Amino acid sequence: MDPAKTKIDQACRTAEEFTKLYYETADKRRHLMSRLYLDTGLFAWNGNGITGNENIQKFVIDLPPTDHVITTLDAQPILDSAVSGQLTFMIQVSGSVKYQDKIPKTFQQNFIVTAQGDKWKIVSDCFRLQEPLIRT
Amino acid sequence: MPKSYFGNKQTTWVKDDRERDYRVSDRDRRVTFKPNRYGGNKEFNNRDWKNAIREHLQDEDVDMGVSSGSGRYHNKKFNRGKKGRRGSPVPNTKWKLLESPTGWYKVSWQVYGTTITFYVDDLKVAEKLQSLDKQIQLPSGFKIFVRVNAGSPNVDMNSTTKQKMKEVMAKRYNSITKALDLTKFHADPDLQGFFCALFKPIVFITVIEIIAENIPELEALNLFDNKIMMLSVFKKSLKKLPNLKILHMGNNKLRDISQLDSLQGLPIIDLVLDGNPLCDKFKEQTSYISEVRKRFPKCIKLDGIDLPPPICFDITEEHHLPDPQQTFLCNSEGGSIVRQFLEQYFLIYDTNNRQPLLQAYHENAIFSMTMAYPYGCKDKAAAWLHWYHTDNRNLKRVLDTERRVKLLKQGQLAVVSYLQEMPLTKHDIHSFTVDLTLFTPQMLCLTVSGMFRELKSGNKSPPIRYFFRTLVIVPAGSGFCIANEELHITNAFPDQAKEAFKTPVAVEPTPVAPVATVSSPGGPAVSPIVPVPDDATKQEMVRQMSAQSGMNLEWSLKCLEETQWDFQRASLVFQHLQSQGVIPPEAFVK
Repeated sequence: MDPAKTKIDQACRTAEEFTKLYYETADKRRHLMSRLYLDTGLFAWNGNGITGNENIQKFVIDLPPTDHVITTLDAQPILDSAVSGQLTFMIQVSGSVKYQDKIPKTFQQNFIVTAQGDKWKIVSDCFRLQEPLIRT
Repeated sequence: MPKSYFGNKQTTWVKDDRERDYRVSDRDRRVTFKPNRYGGNKEFNNRDWKNAIREHLQDEDVDMGVSSGSGRYHNKKFNRGKKGRRGSPVPNTKWKLLESPTGWYKVSWQVYGTTITFYVDDLKVAEKLQSLDKQIQLPSGFKIFVRVNAGSPNVDMNSTTKQKMKEVMAKRYNSITKALDLTKFHADPDLQGFFCALFKPIVFITVIEIIAENIPELEALNLFDNKIMMLSVFKKSLKKLPNLKILHMGNNKLRDISQLDSLQGLPIIDLVLDGNPLCDKFKEQTSYISEVRKRFPKCIKLDGIDLPPPICFDITEEHHLPDPQQTFLCNSEGGSIVRQFLEQYFLIYDTNNRQPLLQAYHENAIFSMTMAYPYGCKDKAAAWLHWYHTDNRNLKRVLDTERRVKLLKQGQLAVVSYLQEMPLTKHDIHSFTVDLTLFTPQMLCLTVSGMFRELKSGNKSPPIRYFFRTLVIVPAGSGFCIANEELHITNAFPDQAKEAFKTPVAVEPTPVAPVATVSSPGGPAVSPIVPVPDDATKQEMVRQMSAQSGMNLEWSLKCLEETQWDFQRASLVFQHLQSQGVIPPEAFVK
């Protein structure tokens, strides 16, 4: 297979494995959340930004219990010129999330994950609930 | 100990059957009546006996010291010799009767042959009416039969009634406090002619349906004075009222505290039950509170009195979601770049010629698209997303490697020709949320979500879609271009769509054509249009650049000149070069 194709295939397979692990951790093992992020990783939850893997873990632990169901998944390798050849993928997810026992809400989420040594780590994580905006 | 306000007052709904039964009279004489006597002259008859009844009641008023009413008409039969004198009827009799403080009001007239049924809501009035049995003489010489039964009118819950209720509820809803006041709902002046009493289960159910459909965010509900006896209609609807915290149900007819079981699960913090028979059953205030707390553990206010806070465990089940923010910028400097980029991008995107976007994409740009219907959208009328099916690169469904590769649009030509194929759109830029999650000299990662109207889709009205797209943007020349893009498309929820295109978009005289001004080896670029500033502004920019970067004025000037006086761009370039350590030390000598 030509190298470009291999990279696309790798991005897809990584995305499948990653999202399974990510949502399992977010739903059931939040105390391990920080391990998924770079030390300097960033999480933007519905417009609230949290920097640093430890802070992210704290933030996620304080969220109500969740149950995520993925509907769509997409992934692509990021152009080398943008990341100086560092293997980096962009993963986008849509689905529904149930907070406590409330009615599930629709969400979309995007991750930038990069290879650090032999581990994939999240550089940036952007989450949005599909809801009407409350304008102030 | 809570005391019922209405404890002694036996207010009941009493059906008062007024029968004019001529069988009792002489059957033979019946034929002397003209057939249209009751049909054609009903109004006259009604008024006639109403006068009589009113007169009789006013007699009682006199006993109580009320000395109103001039020119009374006394029926011979009623004339007990108090102030009896013959006169003309009181003007506006009809309305006086309806508005009298005894709570009389006409709900509906039901006419069955020679029988007319009407409804009063005061036992005393009903008793009084019953005492009028065979007391009132009609002009025709017959006496009216009066029968009193307990009951209430039937409710015909049709779309007209529901619409009317909806309007009245909208009028009574306060969106700021999220409070709905349904005090004496049936007596609302706008509901006259409809019998919308909440103690009728069908009416109550309809009210809850209207709330669930229109104001699921409801937090406070006032049900005072509605004669409600049962709460079981709530049981199936609890999930539709997830935010109901304040419930005032004073002055109703709830007989037992167990009625509240139907409400268990609501996050009630403030409850009013005062004025219900159930309150009188408790001898001890403490047992009353305890029974309420058993059902609503978070209740801290009962009948307007603050309760001592409950002692809880330190681990709470209560979690709150942080409030959403429309914009997140990991770097405040990125704000203006992002804004300009998006404005220009969607200005072109919303035209029928998207070719100029070629310059907004890196020559090796990668693009992919996914689509899904939003969760639980049962609305059959919602516009289908058929168009997006073919290229839906949902890795959950597309498992074949070749197809996964094929569905990636690679290279600026492939990307833009696909964008050109996509349905015509009009984006509502005011609905956008923007998250800038990465901002380095090498790349930006930007996620935008919002709503657009899909034009010429063949639908009757252009559907409102919701999108979520993430862009990896790299510097190119003096501008920026997109290296990677993932687009997700779905339908907007009805409550979202309501908010779309609410803010009128100011027509900005932004030119469309000269978007890209400078190309670079890295690929063509879309460049924010920055007019060349005048000399005074230039001097100020140089001073700012120097202050921000630490470079001296000469090098600051150089940096700005080389970036066509684009301050944002200049500081980006500076950060980039600085991080690579290529700026000579003399640049910082002041």
